Amino acid sequence: MSRRTLRLVGTISGQLGLLAGAIFIMAPALYMLSASFMTSSEIFSTQVKFLPASLNWENYVEVFARFNFLRYLSNSVLVTGAVVILNLVFSPMVGYSLAKFNYPGKNVLLLFILATVMVPFTAILIPLFLIIRNFGWVNTYQGLIMPFAMSAFGVFLMRQFMLGVPDDYIDAGRIDGASEGRIYFQIVLPLIQPALITLAIVVFVANWDEFLWMLVVTTGDALRTLPVGLAKFREQYTTRYELMMAGSVIAAAPVVLLFLAVQRRFLQGMAGLSGLK
Amino acid sequence: MTANFASRQATNQPKQPRNNGLFGNTLEARKKRFGLLFAVPAFLFFGAFYVYPLFQTFYVSFFSWGLLDEPSFLGITNYTRLFADKEFLNAIWVSFFYAFGVVIPIWGVALGLALIFNQAFAGRQAYLTTYYIPAVISLTVWSLIWLLMYNPTFGLFTVVIRWFGITGVRILDDPATAMLGMIILSIWKGTPVYMLIFIAGLRAIPGDYYEAAQIDGARAWQRLLFITLPLLRPVFLYVMVISIIEAFKVFTPMYLLTNGGPGSATRVLSMFIFQNGFQYLKMGYASAASVIFLLILLLLAVFQFRLLRFQQSD
Repeated sequence: MSRRTLRLVGTISGQLGLLAGAIFIMAPALYMLSASFMTSSEIFSTQVKFLPASLNWENYVEVFARFNFLRYLSNSVLVTGAVVILNLVFSPMVGYSLAKFNYPGKNVLLLFILATVMVPFTAILIPLFLIIRNFGWVNTYQGLIMPFAMSAFGVFLMRQFMLGVPDDYIDAGRIDGASEGRIYFQIVLPLIQPALITLAIVVFVANWDEFLWMLVVTTGDALRTLPVGLAKFREQYTTRYELMMAGSVIAAAPVVLLFLAVQRRFLQGMAGLSGLK
Repeated sequence: MTANFASRQATNQPKQPRNNGLFGNTLEARKKRFGLLFAVPAFLFFGAFYVYPLFQTFYVSFFSWGLLDEPSFLGITNYTRLFADKEFLNAIWVSFFYAFGVVIPIWGVALGLALIFNQAFAGRQAYLTTYYIPAVISLTVWSLIWLLMYNPTFGLFTVVIRWFGITGVRILDDPATAMLGMIILSIWKGTPVYMLIFIAGLRAIPGDYYEAAQIDGARAWQRLLFITLPLLRPVFLYVMVISIIEAFKVFTPMYLLTNGGPGSATRVLSMFIFQNGFQYLKMGYASAASVIFLLILLLLAVFQFRLLRFQQSD
């Protein structure tokens, strides 16, 4: 009896601790959401308010009315979407090649791809900008998209999953006389479909967030993505916190909603891939 | 398709086609050609956007170049200037301070949370999802939230620490505390990813070990100390290497919250390179700083791998 009581106390205190932790961790995000509905005077009041007196949608209207926010949003969707598609096309190809084939230069390629994980983006920022400038791609969509068409992480992730595809399946296709291309599209790709979804989500989340490159390569308002748009916003209206927070909610919402929609698969995929060596 | 790929093949051909077996109509040769064909995008992409820029960084670092004028050769002058530049030495120091200020707490908290989430309890998935949310909020948004949080009169952070009797804090305006502000928001955002990696590592440990230990009468803390932690060592190395590199890359919060200030208190290496390259248009100088930046990361990685190998052999 007392043992059972003890366990119950343990469970309850554990749950309370986890709940407190959740509130603590979520506090900044909830604060953003709350402040995005406040009036300016509510934010600035010395009597600190945690919740707005009423849901003040005005801020959201003003963000869209006063800024090119719709433009930033559609640019973000377009650029991130293109990057995700390019990654979905190329990373599995290269991953398959690295996992299942032998050819001269393969180990060098694998080594380079692994090494690029170590290279901080800032360290190649200047020459990358010079290359894009030589291509005439400054302030163009290509310029925003192409440097992220592949990632070392994505290729490596695909390689890991491709290693798990049984050779027998591929050889069976060969014996049946299927071309290598057909084997890839009709046998291999369907097998790694769950990994492709993980890849798409990881690439989406990472590129929705890309800031430094977008800052460097966009020269005008027309091509700015949400992160750069928000940064410019912050420079112009240093004290309009309520608008800044409304804009932040709009920028954060797509990723958070996507995450909540696929959280189980996403968390398992992330856990799975980092478990691989 | 086939013709196209044969012509690409010809350009990629090494000098002695005798032994590599790329030609002919054998299965092996066809497989080699196909593998190489599928790797072509990677050769092009990583060549153009990583390998070439790396060499270019090194090359430009020996020149004085304002982007709009002609580059003029300087030899190693950029490097000698860098090491006499107090701003640069400060940037190195500040980057180290930030990186280790962020990663050490993250390792501890992430591992602790992973050990908790490795148990079964009611609502586990819901808690895990909630705890992960800071990681999916973009860093720009996260930084702006903390700009408001840190506001010295009405920010939530300032208000909460006031409850604990800490008053008069202007965390971002004071050179002594500005970096602490950056570190707090970065720990908050960075922990969930590493928590997830540790969870994966814990899950990979075979349950047999724990059963055997239990039969031998090992207590919970003994199982943690003698089974879990030693077997987690490779995962820990992975987390160490990746988290330190990530921390050295930091740019966004400094750009948005302090622009490297007050003074130079938060001018990390990325910020230094960005400002010299794109605001003062000193391409050569910024490139030289990039080379040193790379060398620092390389040395850190080598050091960490050595550390692990040393531990494994003892």
